[in-house]
Amino acid sequence: METAEARIARAREALAGVQRRVGTTRDRWEAPALPLTPLLDQVLPQGLRRGQVVAVAGSTSLMLALAAAASEAGSWTAAVGMPALGVVAAARRGLDLARLALVPHPGAQAAATAGACVDGMDVVLLGPRLALSDADRRRLASRARERGTVIVAEGAWAGAHTTLTAVGSRWHGLGAGDGRLRGRELTVRVEERRGGTARLVTLPIEGSALGATTAGAGVPARGGATAPSVSLRALGGAA
Amino acid sequence: MSVVTVVRRAVLWVPDWPVVAAMTEAGLGAHVPAAVLHGRGLIAVSAAARAAGVRRGSTRRLAQRACPELAILPHDEGRDSRLFEAVAAAAEQAVSGVEISRPGLMIIPADGAARFHGSEEALAEALVTAVAEHAGIECAVGAADGLLAAVLAARSSEVVPAGASRGYLAPAPVDSLALAAMERAQRQEAERLASVLTRLGIVTLGDLAALPFADVLARFGPVGVWAHRLASGEDLAPPVLRRTEEDIAVEHVFEDPAERIEQLVHVAKEAAAALDRALLDAGVRCGRVRITARTEKGQELERVWRTDVGTRAGAFARHMTDRVRWQLEGWLSGTVGASGAARGPGAGAAGQVPEPSPLVSLGLVAEDVVPLGSEQAYLWGGVSGADSRAHRALERVQGLLGLEGVLAVAEQGGRSPRDRAHLAPWGQEAPPARAIAHPWPGRIPDPPPATVPPVARPALVLDAGGAPVTISRRLAVSAPPTWVRLEADPADERAQAANRHPSSGHVGRVAGPVWDRARPVESWAGPWPVSERWWSEDASRRAYVQVALRDGEDTVTAVLLAYGGGEWELEAVYD
Repeated sequence: METAEARIARAREALAGVQRRVGTTRDRWEAPALPLTPLLDQVLPQGLRRGQVVAVAGSTSLMLALAAAASEAGSWTAAVGMPALGVVAAARRGLDLARLALVPHPGAQAAATAGACVDGMDVVLLGPRLALSDADRRRLASRARERGTVIVAEGAWAGAHTTLTAVGSRWHGLGAGDGRLRGRELTVRVEERRGGTARLVTLPIEGSALGATTAGAGVPARGGATAPSVSLRALGGAA
Repeated sequence: MSVVTVVRRAVLWVPDWPVVAAMTEAGLGAHVPAAVLHGRGLIAVSAAARAAGVRRGSTRRLAQRACPELAILPHDEGRDSRLFEAVAAAAEQAVSGVEISRPGLMIIPADGAARFHGSEEALAEALVTAVAEHAGIECAVGAADGLLAAVLAARSSEVVPAGASRGYLAPAPVDSLALAAMERAQRQEAERLASVLTRLGIVTLGDLAALPFADVLARFGPVGVWAHRLASGEDLAPPVLRRTEEDIAVEHVFEDPAERIEQLVHVAKEAAAALDRALLDAGVRCGRVRITARTEKGQELERVWRTDVGTRAGAFARHMTDRVRWQLEGWLSGTVGASGAARGPGAGAAGQVPEPSPLVSLGLVAEDVVPLGSEQAYLWGGVSGADSRAHRALERVQGLLGLEGVLAVAEQGGRSPRDRAHLAPWGQEAPPARAIAHPWPGRIPDPPPATVPPVARPALVLDAGGAPVTISRRLAVSAPPTWVRLEADPADERAQAANRHPSSGHVGRVAGPVWDRARPVESWAGPWPVSERWWSEDASRRAYVQVALRDGEDTVTAVLLAYGGGEWELEAVYD
C-alpha cells in the first residue's frame, strides 16, 4: 500500500513526462543547440536551440548572422521566399554556400515548401511575404520542434520563442562624398516568449571592433589606398 | 603501371573534334570557317578557317583579323562527349566494341575486327564508311602496335606493319607524346616533360627510347616511365571496351486514366519496386531515373531525377516511390513546368506548364547504368545522413515547384553585388562562373549588402531644393544629395493614398512607381564609376553612390544607389 505522497510523486512524474513529450514545458526545454557566432552571445545567451522559432524584424544581416556559425559547422540552410538575399553577404558572414539552397518564389506552395525544408534542413530562413496562415505557422513550428530545425522568420511570428527587432542602426565610414561604409552597430530589442522584460543589445555587426573605432573619425585616410579611391582614378582616366 | 603485352589497335580520329561538334550543334555547314574559343585562345579550328589562316592557340582578335567572317563558338566539354556518342554508335556498326579515350579519339582492338573484315585496310575503310554514313562526319583511321604509334598512324591514315612501331615512332618529335595523353592534367604534364626533354637535347622519340629505362625513372619519375614506355612502342593498359548497357525500363499502363493522387500512390510503389527488381536481376545500379508519363490528351511529361541511393535492402525502392509520387503529384496538380516536346533535365521548367490532365501511362527508365559495386563515392566521402535528408527535401521542393524553383548559389567575380551572385537550378551542373580571383577594378568594396533585389528598383535622389541630382560624364555631381525617395512597400496603404492625392503633382491613376516619403541623407560617398562591357551590346556605364539615410532618432539605413542614363536605381540595401 503506497502512501499518498508516493502516489502524488508518481502522478507528477507521469505528468512531467507527458509535458516533456508534448512540449508544453518551457523551463525544462533542453534541446541541443546549434553553434552560434560569438557576436550574438548577448542576444541569445542560451544559444540557438534546435526546434526554436526566431522572428527577426528589420535586418537581413541579423538573420544571416544567426545561421552562419551553424552552416559553417556543417548544417544545411534553406532560404524560402527571400529572392533578394545577398549571396556575397551570406558567404562573408560564414554561411557555406554549398549547403545553402534558395527557394525564391514558393508562391501558393509556401506551406508545403516550408514544410519540406523544415523536414530536411537544419536552419530555415523564411522571407516576409510568404502565403502562410497562422495555422500553417503553428504547424511549421511544431514540425520544427519535432525535427529539431531552427526557423528564422522575417517579420512577426505569433508564438516565436524569441523575437528580435532591429530598433537602431549606426554606420561608420561615410562622409560627405567620400569614405565608404565600414562599420555598423546594430541595436536589437530581444523579447522572449518566456516573458521577462525586453532587452536592448547593441552589437558591432559589421566591421571589426578596431575598424569601428578608427572609422568613427568618419573619413578614411586618402593615402589608405582603399578600393574605391583606386578604382576612381583607374577608371576615371579611361572614361 | 604493370607491363602489359602490346595490343594491335586501330585508332579512329576525328580531326578538330571540338569545332566539328560545335558546328554540328550550331547547324553550320562544313564550308563555314569556325573555331572554338576557350579562355583566351582558340582550342580548335575548322578546316575552312585554317585555310583562311586562323591558327589554333591564337587570340580571338588575331583570328578575326585573319578571317573576319569566322564563327566563334563557345567551348563545352559536355557537348563534345555527348555528340561523340553518335560517332561511337556509328563505329559500332562496323566493329563490336570501341573504347572512347577522349572525345574525338576512339580505340579499337584491331586483331579480331581485322580478321572479320579481311585486312586492316578493309577494317579502316569499313569504319570510315560507317562513321560517314551514320554520323555524317569525316574521320581518319590508322593501325599500329601500341597506343602512341596507333594515334600517330591515325593522324596520317597509315597502317604500320606489326613489329615496326618502334621504328615508326623514332623520328617523331617528343612533342607528340601529348597526343597520347587522354586527360587535360596528363596532357599538361606531357607537354612540360617534352619541353624539358627538348632543352636537354632529346628531340625525337627515338632519342628518348634509347635512354636507359632506370635513368629516365630516376630523373623524371612516373611521367618519365610513361613517356619512355610509349616512345618504345609499348602499351600501358589493354583497351577497356565500352559496354553498351541497355537502359532498364519499367512501364505501367493505367486501366482507367488516373486523376487523383490516391490512385497513384500504389502504382508509384509498384513501379518503383518493379524497377528495383529489374535492376537487381541485371546486377546493376543506376545514376539517374527518367520518369515519364502520358496524359489523356497525349502530352508526354518527362523529368530526370538523379539518385545516389544504392540498391541495398530496398532503400532504392522506397526512395524511388517517394520521387515518383512527388513527381506525379506535381504533374497532376499542374504546378510543375514539365518539358513537353523538349527533352532532358535542362529543358525542365523552361517548357510550357501543362494543364492538369489525367494520366494514362507511367514509365520509369534507369539511366547511367553501372554494374553493382562500381559506383563512385563522393569526393568528400559518402553522403552523410543529414546530407541525404537535405537532398531529399530539396528534391521534394523541386517536385512541387519545378526544377528552377530551388536554386544553388555560388559566389563569382563581378563588380556590382548582383553580378557577384551566381544562381543555378539545384542539382544541375552550373555553367562556369566568372573567376573571383580576377582583379575586378571598381568592385563595390566590402561589406557586401545583405539585400540585393533581383532587379534594380527605381529611386529618386534630390538636392536640397528638391531638384534631381545628376552626375555628368566627368563624374561631377550636380549638387550634394540631400533627399532620397525609394519605392514604397506595396502593402503600405498610406503611401499609396498619398500618391493618389492631388498634391503629389498628378491627378487620377498613378503611373510609374509609388514613392515612399523623402528621407534625409545623413552622409554619402561616391560617385564610383563602373564602365563594363563597352565592346558589347549590354554595355553599362554607371556611377555608384553609397548613401546613409536617416530614418529615425538613431536609425540609419545604408543603401547602394546607381546612376546611369539619367536615372537613379536602388541596387542594394545594407540592412
